[in-house]
Amino acid sequence: MSAFRTMLLTEGKLVLRGFDVVFFGVLMPVIVAVILGLIMGGKPAYEGAGFTFMEQSFGALAAIGICAEGLMGFPLVVADYRHRKILKRFKVTPVSPALLLFVQCVINFAVTLISLLFVYAACALMFGYRMSGSPVEFILAYGLVILAIFGIGMMLASVAPDLKTANMLCSLVYFPMLLFSGATIPYEIMPSGVQKVMDFLPLTQGIKLLKAVSLGAVTDHLLFQILLMAAFAVVCTAISIKFFKWE
Amino acid sequence: MQKSLIAKGLSKKYGSKTALSDFSITIEKGEIFGLLGANGAGKTTALECILGTKKPDAGSVEILGMDPVKDRKRLFQKVGVQFQQTNYQDKITVKEACEVAHSLYSKPADWSRLLKMFGLDNKQKQPVNELSGGEKQRLSVILALIPDPELVFLDELTTGLDAKARRDVWKYLELLKEKGLTIILTSHYMDEVRALCDRICILKQGSTVILDTVDRVTESSPYDNLEEAYLWYSEEEVEIDECV
Repeated sequence: MSAFRTMLLTEGKLVLRGFDVVFFGVLMPVIVAVILGLIMGGKPAYEGAGFTFMEQSFGALAAIGICAEGLMGFPLVVADYRHRKILKRFKVTPVSPALLLFVQCVINFAVTLISLLFVYAACALMFGYRMSGSPVEFILAYGLVILAIFGIGMMLASVAPDLKTANMLCSLVYFPMLLFSGATIPYEIMPSGVQKVMDFLPLTQGIKLLKAVSLGAVTDHLLFQILLMAAFAVVCTAISIKFFKWE
Repeated sequence: MQKSLIAKGLSKKYGSKTALSDFSITIEKGEIFGLLGANGAGKTTALECILGTKKPDAGSVEILGMDPVKDRKRLFQKVGVQFQQTNYQDKITVKEACEVAHSLYSKPADWSRLLKMFGLDNKQKQPVNELSGGEKQRLSVILALIPDPELVFLDELTTGLDAKARRDVWKYLELLKEKGLTIILTSHYMDEVRALCDRICILKQGSTVILDTVDRVTESSPYDNLEEAYLWYSEEEVEIDECV
Protein backbone atom coordinates (compact mmCIF):
# COMPACT_ATOMS: atom_id res chain seq x y z
CA MET A 1 0.00 0.00 0.00
CA SER A 2 1.25 3.50 -0.72
CA ALA A 3 2.53 5.65 2.13
CA PHE A 4 -0.30 8.14 1.61
CA ARG A 5 -3.05 5.53 1.77
CA THR A 6 -1.56 3.75 4.78
CA MET A 7 -1.15 7.00 6.67
CA LEU A 8 -4.60 8.24 5.74
CA LEU A 9 -6.12 4.98 6.93
CA THR A 10 -4.11 4.89 10.16
CA GLU A 11 -4.54 8.55 11.05
CA GLY A 12 -8.23 8.25 10.18
CA LYS A 13 -8.59 5.37 12.64
CA LEU A 14 -6.77 7.43 15.29
CA VAL A 15 -9.25 10.27 14.80
CA LEU A 16 -12.19 7.91 15.28
CA ARG A 17 -10.59 6.52 18.44
CA GLY A 18 -10.35 10.02 19.87
CA PHE A 19 -13.63 11.28 21.27
CA ASP A 20 -13.02 15.01 20.81
CA VAL A 21 -12.94 15.31 17.03
CA VAL A 22 -16.13 13.33 16.54
CA PHE A 23 -17.86 15.16 19.38
CA PHE A 24 -16.86 18.74 18.64
CA GLY A 25 -16.77 18.36 14.86
CA VAL A 26 -19.88 16.28 14.21
CA LEU A 27 -22.07 15.74 17.28
CA MET A 28 -21.99 19.26 18.66
CA PRO A 29 -23.20 20.96 15.44
CA VAL A 30 -26.02 18.41 15.25
CA ILE A 31 -26.96 19.02 18.90
CA VAL A 32 -27.04 22.79 18.39
CA ALA A 33 -29.11 22.31 15.23
CA VAL A 34 -31.64 20.14 17.08
CA ILE A 35 -31.93 22.54 20.03
CA LEU A 36 -32.32 25.53 17.75
CA GLY A 37 -34.81 23.63 15.64
CA LEU A 38 -36.90 22.61 18.66
CA ILE A 39 -37.06 26.19 19.90
CA MET A 40 -37.42 28.16 16.70
CA GLY A 41 -37.77 25.54 13.94
CA GLY A 42 -40.85 26.33 11.90
CA LYS A 43 -41.21 29.98 12.87
CA PRO A 44 -40.53 32.59 10.24
CA ALA A 45 -37.14 34.25 10.58
CA TYR A 46 -38.83 37.56 11.38
CA GLU A 47 -42.31 38.89 10.98
CA GLY A 48 -43.29 38.73 7.36
CA ALA A 49 -40.14 36.87 6.29
CA GLY A 50 -40.44 34.51 3.35
CA PHE A 51 -38.26 31.86 5.04
CA THR A 52 -38.14 30.09 8.40
CA PHE A 53 -35.68 30.61 11.20
CA MET A 54 -34.24 27.18 10.46
CA GLU A 55 -33.67 28.07 6.83
CA GLN A 56 -31.95 31.24 7.88
CA SER A 57 -29.73 29.46 10.44
CA PHE A 58 -28.56 26.53 8.35
CA GLY A 59 -25.49 28.37 7.07
CA ALA A 60 -24.48 29.19 10.64
CA LEU A 61 -25.02 25.65 11.93
CA ALA A 62 -22.94 24.29 9.08
CA ALA A 63 -20.05 26.53 10.15
CA ILE A 64 -19.74 25.02 13.67
CA GLY A 65 -17.92 21.98 12.25
CA ILE A 66 -15.53 24.22 10.30
CA CYS A 67 -14.78 26.11 13.49
CA ALA A 68 -14.11 22.95 15.52
CA GLU A 69 -11.89 21.27 12.92
CA GLY A 70 -10.14 24.36 11.61
CA LEU A 71 -9.42 26.10 14.90
CA MET A 72 -9.03 23.14 17.26
CA GLY A 73 -8.71 19.75 15.56
CA PHE A 74 -6.25 20.50 12.79
CA PRO A 75 -3.88 23.08 14.34
CA LEU A 76 -3.62 21.26 17.68
CA VAL A 77 -2.69 17.97 16.02
CA VAL A 78 0.00 19.78 14.01
CA ALA A 79 1.35 21.53 17.11
CA ASP A 80 1.30 18.25 19.03
CA TYR A 81 3.11 16.28 16.32
CA ARG A 82 5.75 18.97 16.17
CA HIS A 83 6.06 19.22 19.95
CA ARG A 84 6.51 15.46 20.34
CA LYS A 85 8.99 15.31 17.44
CA ILE A 86 6.82 12.99 15.41
CA LEU A 87 7.44 15.23 12.38
CA LYS A 88 11.16 15.08 13.03
CA ARG A 89 11.01 11.29 12.98
CA PHE A 90 9.50 11.44 9.50
CA LYS A 91 12.39 13.66 8.40
CA VAL A 92 14.75 10.70 8.62
CA THR A 93 12.57 8.53 6.38
CA PRO A 94 12.16 8.76 2.60
CA VAL A 95 8.77 10.39 3.01
CA SER A 96 8.37 14.09 3.61
CA PRO A 97 6.84 15.17 6.93
CA ALA A 98 4.65 17.38 4.76
CA LEU A 99 2.79 14.23 3.72
CA LEU A 100 1.76 13.70 7.32
CA LEU A 101 0.42 17.27 7.44
CA PHE A 102 -1.39 16.79 4.16
CA VAL A 103 -2.99 13.61 5.51
CA GLN A 104 -4.23 15.57 8.54
CA CYS A 105 -5.58 18.25 6.25
CA VAL A 106 -7.52 15.71 4.19
CA ILE A 107 -8.91 14.02 7.30
CA ASN A 108 -10.10 17.23 8.90
CA PHE A 109 -11.55 18.42 5.61
CA ALA A 110 -13.45 15.14 5.40
CA VAL A 111 -14.70 15.39 8.99
CA THR A 112 -15.99 18.89 8.22
CA LEU A 113 -17.88 17.65 5.17
CA ILE A 114 -19.33 14.76 7.20
CA SER A 115 -20.38 17.31 9.82
CA LEU A 116 -22.17 19.29 7.09
CA LEU A 117 -23.94 16.14 5.95
CA PHE A 118 -25.11 15.28 9.47
CA VAL A 119 -26.32 18.81 10.17
CA TYR A 120 -28.22 18.79 6.88
CA ALA A 121 -29.72 15.37 7.64
CA ALA A 122 -30.81 16.50 11.12
CA CYS A 123 -32.37 19.71 9.81
CA ALA A 124 -34.03 17.98 6.87
CA LEU A 125 -35.37 14.92 8.70
CA MET A 126 -36.46 16.58 11.94
CA PHE A 127 -37.54 20.02 10.79
CA GLY A 128 -38.28 19.55 7.11
CA TYR A 129 -35.46 21.85 6.03
CA ARG A 130 -34.86 22.29 2.31
CA MET A 131 -32.14 24.48 0.86
CA SER A 132 -33.64 27.12 -1.39
CA GLY A 133 -30.26 28.17 -2.77
CA SER A 134 -28.11 26.15 -5.15
CA PRO A 135 -26.36 23.22 -3.37
CA VAL A 136 -23.39 23.51 -5.71
CA GLU A 137 -22.91 27.17 -4.88
CA PHE A 138 -23.30 26.33 -1.21
CA ILE A 139 -20.60 23.63 -1.37
CA LEU A 140 -18.27 26.09 -3.14
CA ALA A 141 -18.90 28.75 -0.52
CA TYR A 142 -18.47 26.14 2.22
CA GLY A 143 -15.12 25.10 0.74
CA LEU A 144 -13.99 28.72 0.64
CA VAL A 145 -14.89 29.27 4.31
CA ILE A 146 -13.05 26.01 5.19
CA LEU A 147 -9.92 27.31 3.44
CA ALA A 148 -10.11 30.63 5.29
CA ILE A 149 -10.70 29.12 8.76
CA PHE A 150 -8.20 26.25 8.29
CA GLY A 151 -5.74 28.92 7.13
CA ILE A 152 -6.22 30.83 10.39
CA GLY A 153 -5.79 27.59 12.36
CA MET A 154 -2.64 26.63 10.48
CA MET A 155 -1.22 30.09 11.03
CA LEU A 156 -1.81 29.84 14.80
CA ALA A 157 -0.11 26.43 14.86
CA SER A 158 2.86 27.79 12.92
CA VAL A 159 3.54 30.94 14.88
CA ALA A 160 3.05 29.32 18.30
CA PRO A 161 6.47 28.57 19.78
CA ASP A 162 5.20 25.59 21.78
CA LEU A 163 2.20 23.39 22.38
CA LYS A 164 0.95 25.41 25.35
CA THR A 165 0.85 28.64 23.37
CA ALA A 166 -0.79 26.88 20.45
CA ASN A 167 -3.47 25.57 22.82
CA MET A 168 -4.02 29.02 24.24
CA LEU A 169 -4.10 30.81 20.88
CA CYS A 170 -6.54 28.28 19.47
CA SER A 171 -8.86 28.60 22.47
CA LEU A 172 -8.64 32.40 22.27
CA VAL A 173 -9.78 32.29 18.68
CA TYR A 174 -12.08 29.26 18.80
CA PHE A 175 -14.45 30.24 21.60
CA PRO A 176 -15.17 33.83 20.50
CA MET A 177 -15.68 32.59 16.93
CA LEU A 178 -17.98 29.84 18.14
CA LEU A 179 -20.07 32.15 20.33
CA PHE A 180 -19.87 35.53 18.61
CA SER A 181 -19.85 34.82 14.91
CA GLY A 182 -23.41 33.59 14.83
CA ALA A 183 -22.40 29.95 14.54
CA THR A 184 -24.14 28.91 17.77
CA ILE A 185 -25.98 31.98 19.06
CA PRO A 186 -27.89 33.43 16.11
CA TYR A 187 -26.51 36.73 14.84
CA GLU A 188 -30.02 38.02 14.28
CA ILE A 189 -31.06 37.91 17.96
CA MET A 190 -28.05 40.02 19.05
CA PRO A 191 -28.44 43.77 19.71
CA SER A 192 -27.22 45.83 16.80
CA GLY A 193 -24.31 47.22 18.81
CA VAL A 194 -23.02 43.70 19.46
CA GLN A 195 -23.60 42.81 15.83
CA LYS A 196 -21.23 45.59 14.80
CA VAL A 197 -18.51 44.05 16.96
CA MET A 198 -19.32 40.56 15.67
CA ASP A 199 -18.85 41.82 12.12
CA PHE A 200 -15.12 42.03 12.79
CA LEU A 201 -14.79 38.28 13.21
CA PRO A 202 -13.92 36.67 9.89
CA LEU A 203 -16.28 33.76 10.54
CA THR A 204 -19.20 36.19 10.93
CA GLN A 205 -18.61 37.26 7.34
CA GLY A 206 -18.16 33.64 6.27
CA ILE A 207 -21.49 32.75 7.88
CA LYS A 208 -23.18 35.69 6.18
CA LEU A 209 -21.92 34.29 2.89
CA LEU A 210 -23.15 30.77 3.72
CA LYS A 211 -26.54 32.07 4.83
CA ALA A 212 -27.05 34.17 1.71
CA VAL A 213 -26.07 31.28 -0.58
CA SER A 214 -28.25 28.75 1.26
CA LEU A 215 -31.22 31.13 1.04
CA GLY A 216 -30.62 31.61 -2.66
CA ALA A 217 -30.03 35.30 -2.07
CA VAL A 218 -26.85 35.55 -4.11
CA THR A 219 -26.16 39.20 -4.90
CA ASP A 220 -23.25 41.46 -5.72
CA HIS A 221 -23.04 42.37 -2.03
CA LEU A 222 -21.49 38.98 -1.36
CA LEU A 223 -18.37 39.95 -3.27
CA PHE A 224 -16.99 41.55 -0.11
CA GLN A 225 -17.39 38.32 1.88
CA ILE A 226 -15.99 36.18 -0.91
CA LEU A 227 -12.90 38.38 -1.29
CA LEU A 228 -12.45 38.54 2.48
CA MET A 229 -12.55 34.74 2.81
CA ALA A 230 -10.16 34.32 -0.12
CA ALA A 231 -7.81 36.91 1.39
CA PHE A 232 -7.80 35.12 4.76
CA ALA A 233 -7.16 31.79 3.04
CA VAL A 234 -4.23 33.12 0.98
CA VAL A 235 -2.60 35.40 3.55
CA CYS A 236 -2.90 33.02 6.53
CA THR A 237 -1.69 30.02 4.56
CA ALA A 238 1.27 32.04 3.26
CA ILE A 239 2.15 33.16 6.80
CA SER A 240 1.81 29.62 8.15
CA ILE A 241 4.14 28.27 5.46
CA LYS A 242 6.63 31.09 6.01
CA PHE A 243 6.81 30.56 9.76
CA PHE A 244 6.36 26.82 9.81
CA LYS A 245 8.83 24.86 11.95
CA TRP A 246 9.32 21.11 11.69
CA GLU A 247 10.54 21.03 15.28
CA MET B 1 36.96 -1.10 1.52
CA GLN B 2 33.76 0.81 0.91
CA LYS B 3 33.00 3.78 3.15
CA SER B 4 29.54 3.97 4.71
CA LEU B 5 29.99 7.37 6.25
CA ILE B 6 32.44 10.21 5.95
CA ALA B 7 32.03 13.21 8.26
CA LYS B 8 34.57 16.02 8.10
CA GLY B 9 35.05 18.89 10.51
CA LEU B 10 31.49 19.04 11.87
CA SER B 11 30.98 21.90 14.32
CA LYS B 12 27.88 23.15 16.06
CA LYS B 13 27.30 25.90 18.57
CA TYR B 14 24.14 26.70 20.51
CA GLY B 15 24.50 30.36 21.29
CA SER B 16 27.95 30.65 22.81
CA LYS B 17 28.08 27.03 23.96
CA THR B 18 30.07 24.68 21.74
CA ALA B 19 28.14 21.43 21.37
CA LEU B 20 30.43 19.85 18.80
CA SER B 21 33.77 20.95 17.48
CA ASP B 22 35.70 19.70 14.47
CA PHE B 23 34.16 16.23 14.56
CA SER B 24 35.47 13.89 11.85
CA ILE B 25 34.87 10.16 11.37
CA THR B 26 35.10 7.66 8.56
CA ILE B 27 33.13 4.45 8.96
CA GLU B 28 33.68 1.34 6.87
CA LYS B 29 30.91 -0.81 5.51
CA GLY B 30 29.97 -3.57 7.94
CA GLU B 31 31.51 -1.86 10.93
CA ILE B 32 29.85 -1.33 14.32
CA PHE B 33 30.92 2.05 15.56
CA GLY B 34 30.27 3.38 19.05
CA LEU B 35 29.93 7.05 19.92
CA LEU B 36 30.56 7.49 23.64
CA GLY B 37 30.60 10.30 26.14
CA ALA B 38 28.87 11.65 29.19
CA ASN B 39 25.42 13.20 28.93
CA GLY B 40 25.80 16.51 27.13
CA ALA B 41 29.14 15.54 25.57
CA GLY B 42 27.73 16.00 22.07
CA LYS B 43 26.76 12.49 20.95
CA THR B 44 23.23 13.35 19.93
CA THR B 45 24.33 16.62 18.33
CA ALA B 46 26.91 14.67 16.32
CA LEU B 47 24.24 12.20 15.16
CA GLU B 48 21.82 14.98 14.27
CA CYS B 49 24.43 16.92 12.30
CA ILE B 50 25.30 13.72 10.43
CA LEU B 51 21.62 12.99 9.68
CA GLY B 52 20.86 16.54 8.63
CA THR B 53 18.14 17.09 11.26
CA LYS B 54 20.46 19.79 12.66
CA LYS B 55 22.42 22.07 10.42
CA PRO B 56 26.11 22.07 11.38
CA ASP B 57 27.86 25.46 11.47
CA ALA B 58 30.74 23.93 9.55
CA GLY B 59 31.79 20.64 8.01
CA SER B 60 30.53 18.13 5.48
CA VAL B 61 28.82 14.74 5.59
CA GLU B 62 28.54 11.95 3.07
CA ILE B 63 26.45 8.88 3.89
CA LEU B 64 26.57 5.93 1.45
CA GLY B 65 27.99 8.42 -1.04
CA MET B 66 25.03 10.78 -0.67
CA ASP B 67 24.35 14.17 0.86
CA PRO B 68 21.87 13.66 3.75
CA VAL B 69 20.08 16.95 3.06
CA LYS B 70 20.03 17.09 -0.75
CA ASP B 71 19.56 13.34 -1.34
CA ARG B 72 17.26 12.88 1.67
CA LYS B 73 14.60 10.80 -0.03
CA ARG B 74 17.03 8.44 -1.76
CA LEU B 75 19.36 8.13 1.22
CA PHE B 76 16.75 7.34 3.86
CA GLN B 77 15.48 4.42 1.78
CA LYS B 78 18.66 2.70 2.96
CA VAL B 79 19.22 4.23 6.37
CA GLY B 80 17.33 3.47 9.58
CA VAL B 81 17.31 5.82 12.55
CA GLN B 82 16.34 5.34 16.17
CA PHE B 83 16.23 8.56 18.13
CA GLN B 84 16.83 8.61 21.86
CA GLN B 85 13.26 9.32 22.80
CA THR B 86 10.68 8.31 20.32
CA ASN B 87 7.13 9.60 20.56
CA TYR B 88 4.19 8.20 18.69
CA GLN B 89 0.78 9.42 17.64
CA ASP B 90 -1.81 9.12 20.42
CA LYS B 91 -3.61 5.77 20.52
CA ILE B 92 -1.61 4.26 17.66
CA THR B 93 -1.08 0.50 18.07
CA VAL B 94 2.16 -1.41 17.63
CA LYS B 95 0.86 -2.98 14.44
CA GLU B 96 -0.20 0.37 12.97
CA ALA B 97 3.14 2.01 13.78
CA CYS B 98 4.86 -0.88 11.97
CA GLU B 99 2.48 -0.70 9.01
CA VAL B 100 3.07 3.03 8.56
CA ALA B 101 6.86 2.58 8.77
CA HIS B 102 6.61 -0.32 6.32
CA SER B 103 4.67 1.77 3.80
CA LEU B 104 7.42 4.41 3.60
CA TYR B 105 10.08 2.18 2.05
CA SER B 106 10.48 0.56 -1.33
CA LYS B 107 12.04 -2.70 -0.10
CA PRO B 108 11.15 -2.99 3.57
CA ALA B 109 11.90 -5.86 5.93
CA ASP B 110 9.18 -8.20 7.23
CA TRP B 111 8.00 -6.35 10.34
CA SER B 112 6.07 -9.26 11.83
CA ARG B 113 9.30 -11.26 11.83
CA LEU B 114 11.08 -8.40 13.56
CA LEU B 115 8.34 -8.24 16.20
CA LYS B 116 8.75 -11.96 16.83
CA MET B 117 12.51 -11.64 16.99
CA PHE B 118 12.27 -8.92 19.64
CA GLY B 119 9.47 -10.62 21.58
CA LEU B 120 6.73 -8.13 20.75
CA ASP B 121 4.55 -10.23 18.45
CA ASN B 122 1.88 -10.69 21.12
CA LYS B 123 1.65 -6.89 21.58
CA GLN B 124 0.52 -6.03 18.05
CA LYS B 125 -2.91 -4.71 19.05
CA GLN B 126 -1.64 -2.83 22.09
CA PRO B 127 -1.42 0.98 21.98
CA VAL B 128 2.24 1.98 21.83
CA ASN B 129 1.79 4.40 24.73
CA GLU B 130 0.74 1.54 27.00
CA LEU B 131 3.91 -0.47 26.36
CA SER B 132 6.50 -0.70 29.12
CA GLY B 133 9.70 1.32 28.78
CA GLY B 134 11.65 -1.71 27.60
CA GLU B 135 8.99 -2.72 25.09
CA LYS B 136 8.86 0.81 23.68
CA GLN B 137 12.62 0.79 23.37
CA ARG B 138 12.54 -2.49 21.45
CA LEU B 139 9.82 -1.12 19.18
CA SER B 140 11.94 1.92 18.32
CA VAL B 141 14.82 -0.40 17.35
CA ILE B 142 12.42 -2.48 15.23
CA LEU B 143 11.17 0.64 13.44
CA ALA B 144 14.77 1.60 12.65
CA LEU B 145 15.28 -1.84 11.11
CA ILE B 146 12.06 -1.91 9.05
CA PRO B 147 13.75 -0.12 6.09
CA ASP B 148 16.04 -3.20 5.85
CA PRO B 149 18.84 -0.63 5.98
CA GLU B 150 22.46 -0.73 4.88
CA LEU B 151 23.28 1.63 7.71
CA VAL B 152 21.46 2.10 10.99
CA PHE B 153 21.81 4.78 13.67
CA LEU B 154 20.86 3.69 17.18
CA ASP B 155 20.91 6.35 19.90
CA GLU B 156 21.07 4.62 23.31
CA LEU B 157 19.70 1.43 21.87
CA THR B 158 19.25 -0.65 25.03
CA THR B 159 18.48 1.98 27.67
CA GLY B 160 15.68 0.60 29.82
CA LEU B 161 16.02 -3.00 28.65
CA ASP B 162 16.49 -5.91 31.04
CA ALA B 163 19.58 -8.12 30.79
CA LYS B 164 17.93 -10.78 28.64
CA ALA B 165 16.40 -8.30 26.21
CA ARG B 166 19.75 -6.56 25.84
CA ARG B 167 21.46 -9.82 24.95
CA ASP B 168 18.72 -10.57 22.42
CA VAL B 169 19.19 -7.18 20.77
CA TRP B 170 22.97 -7.66 20.67
CA LYS B 171 22.62 -11.11 19.14
CA TYR B 172 20.33 -9.82 16.45
CA LEU B 173 22.59 -6.86 15.63
CA GLU B 174 25.58 -9.24 15.31
CA LEU B 175 23.54 -11.31 12.91
CA LEU B 176 22.74 -8.25 10.82
CA LYS B 177 26.38 -7.20 10.94
CA GLU B 178 27.37 -10.53 9.40
CA LYS B 179 25.03 -9.73 6.55
CA GLY B 180 26.90 -6.46 5.99
CA LEU B 181 24.87 -3.95 8.01
CA THR B 182 26.81 -0.95 9.27
CA ILE B 183 25.79 0.23 12.73
CA ILE B 184 26.49 3.53 14.47
CA LEU B 185 25.38 3.53 18.07
CA THR B 186 25.63 5.49 21.26
CA SER B 187 25.58 3.76 24.61
CA HIS B 188 26.35 4.29 28.27
CA TYR B 189 26.97 0.58 28.89
CA MET B 190 30.58 -0.45 28.44
CA ASP B 191 29.75 -4.18 28.43
CA GLU B 192 27.53 -3.46 25.45
CA VAL B 193 30.23 -1.44 23.72
CA ARG B 194 32.74 -4.24 24.40
CA ALA B 195 30.40 -6.87 23.03
CA LEU B 196 29.39 -5.01 19.89
CA CYS B 197 31.72 -2.26 18.76
CA ASP B 198 34.71 -2.54 16.46
CA ARG B 199 35.79 1.03 17.00
CA ILE B 200 34.71 3.78 19.35
CA CYS B 201 34.97 7.52 19.60
CA ILE B 202 34.86 9.22 23.00
CA LEU B 203 33.52 12.76 23.07
CA LYS B 204 34.07 15.29 25.80
CA GLN B 205 32.47 18.71 25.69
CA GLY B 206 31.99 18.37 21.96
CA SER B 207 35.57 17.38 21.13
CA THR B 208 36.93 13.99 20.15
CA VAL B 209 39.21 12.67 22.91
CA ILE B 210 40.12 9.40 21.27
CA LEU B 211 39.00 7.39 18.26
CA ASP B 212 40.28 3.84 17.97
CA THR B 213 39.47 0.15 18.36
CA VAL B 214 38.07 -0.94 21.71
CA ASP B 215 41.28 -2.78 22.62
CA ARG B 216 43.57 0.07 21.74
CA VAL B 217 41.46 2.58 23.65
CA THR B 218 41.86 0.37 26.73
CA GLU B 219 45.58 -0.22 26.14
CA SER B 220 46.40 3.44 25.71
CA SER B 221 44.92 4.24 29.12
CA PRO B 222 46.49 3.42 32.49
CA TYR B 223 43.72 0.86 33.09
CA ASP B 224 43.10 -2.66 31.86
CA ASN B 225 39.36 -2.56 31.31
CA LEU B 226 37.16 -0.47 29.04
CA GLU B 227 34.90 0.90 31.74
CA GLU B 228 37.76 2.54 33.63
CA ALA B 229 39.54 3.57 30.47
CA TYR B 230 36.33 5.24 29.31
CA LEU B 231 35.91 7.09 32.59
CA TRP B 232 39.55 8.13 32.48
CA TYR B 233 39.17 9.52 28.98
CA SER B 234 35.90 11.24 29.64
CA GLU B 235 37.17 12.30 33.06
CA GLU B 236 34.20 11.14 35.04
CA GLU B 237 36.09 9.52 37.91
CA VAL B 238 34.84 12.11 40.36
CA GLU B 239 31.28 11.15 39.65
CA ILE B 240 31.89 7.47 40.43
CA ASP B 241 32.44 8.25 44.07
CA GLU B 242 29.13 10.04 44.15
CA CYS B 243 27.36 7.09 42.55
CA VAL B 244 28.85 4.58 45.01
